Amino acid sequence: MTELSFYGFRPPGIEGESLPGRLIVLEATDGAGRSTHVALLKEWLEDEGYAVLDTGLRRSDLAGPGIQRAKGGHTLDPITLNLFYAADFWDRLERQIIPALRAGMVVLADRYVFSLIARASVRGVSLEWMEELYTFALVPDLVIYLDIDVEQLLPRVLSSTGFDYWESGQDFLRGSNVYSNVFESFVQYQQMLLAEFRRLAKRHGFTVVDARRTVSQIHQTLRSVVDDVVRGMEEWPAGSTGTEQLHVAHPDGDAHDGHDGVDVTRSERAAPSG
Amino acid sequence: MRDDLGLSGRLFIVEGIDGSGKSTQLNLLHKWLISQGYLVVFSEWNSSPIVKETTRRGKKRRLLSPMSFSLIHAADFASRVHSQILPALQAGTVVLADRYVYTAFARDAVRGVSRDWLNRLYSFAVKPSLSFYFDTPLAESIRRIMDGRPKLKYYEAGMDMELSSDPEESFRIYQGLIKHEYERLVDEFQLVRMDATETLIRQQQRMRDLVRPHLSGVMRFDGGEIHQALRDANLLGRYLNDAGRLPPP
Repeated sequence: MTELSFYGFRPPGIEGESLPGRLIVLEATDGAGRSTHVALLKEWLEDEGYAVLDTGLRRSDLAGPGIQRAKGGHTLDPITLNLFYAADFWDRLERQIIPALRAGMVVLADRYVFSLIARASVRGVSLEWMEELYTFALVPDLVIYLDIDVEQLLPRVLSSTGFDYWESGQDFLRGSNVYSNVFESFVQYQQMLLAEFRRLAKRHGFTVVDARRTVSQIHQTLRSVVDDVVRGMEEWPAGSTGTEQLHVAHPDGDAHDGHDGVDVTRSERAAPSG
Repeated sequence: MRDDLGLSGRLFIVEGIDGSGKSTQLNLLHKWLISQGYLVVFSEWNSSPIVKETTRRGKKRRLLSPMSFSLIHAADFASRVHSQILPALQAGTVVLADRYVYTAFARDAVRGVSRDWLNRLYSFAVKPSLSFYFDTPLAESIRRIMDGRPKLKYYEAGMDMELSSDPEESFRIYQGLIKHEYERLVDEFQLVRMDATETLIRQQQRMRDLVRPHLSGVMRFDGGEIHQALRDANLLGRYLNDAGRLPPP
């Protein structure tokens, strides 16, 4: 089960000690195949009988639309933009992720706080401030980092969406001349970002998966690491019953505190350290 | 909060519970500073155009849990600091703010958000030259609010905290909690306590006396040239006067 453990303080309104679901995070830069692998894992897990919620950045009711609008105008300073993202993240944590975990689902998060921290940090926002900001985040059961180099990213990005304004760091980088601008800044930006991701992977003990291989190879590796984490979910934790699933499955429902004061079995796999 | 930026402007802020009279006093100070020729930028709580839409959305649909409330207000504040307050202070003007970080500290802390986290969250804020706290007996400030405004809004009355199902009762309890939190902040951050039961003119005199020493060396707008231009053109400068930019000749 997911222990209700936070990187820093427990935010107000979140009750209980543990949740019967599992929180699994995939982190990587754009073009590393993150979304593809979330989709494949979701299908596989559902085939195995697990209820799955997938969630990604900017999908909150509260702040999602505001971020889209602000990014369109390129008008926000980095601190404001990051606070917007933090509001979006919190809204999803509180209203989607935690209720799903309470209901015993597997939550697949297509990026988590680490992408936000890495992107802000390369833009000159204090790393310390960013990590402090996200101390209200729930510690996941598993964080997978899809490790890749810029050389492998280039063909993938070129064959799909092309160089995105933000994913090339053009909001803060400028190439040496007008013609090489986008390409140069893409390479420079992604190198900075990858270095930051690797630093975070080490610091927070991510499970690093080599994403330079074929999709099918990567998927097989992901299955085995995910399998270790979801194993044992067929049994409700001691002291709780399946009936509470009915109470808490409603996304707007109140936080259910059925686990309060109940001695529950710890999962064999410890959450990554914060 | 930052005070290492070597800013040539000055920042004065007011805090206090609703109905403490802080906005009235800040408005009077604003007019006085303009009449003295200072350039003044005025910043209001929760007013950034970029964040407003999200705040409105959250309030209307009651999506604001304590943490969302806290983060959205922090975003609004950050946006005002970076687009309005900081540039004005760098340029050397006087900035007046009706509510500042202490409002967030008080409102969020009573909703259970970690004080320590709030402190670090707002570490990007510019430290004010002078912060005024308008201290009013709770009953008096509530009377003032209830006199003029019969219908309380959901978040204004602290209804999200489920203190009472009656908006008026909820508002009373909520304001009491906020006031209690302010008492801590006055000590921790050395806010200047203003006795808001004194006459308006006394309060304003005291405010000006406290502000005056901070104004030496601050940029002033020289209106001399415009007086000459008005005389030459045989105009009164009526609109300029309305804008408060020009002291009467």
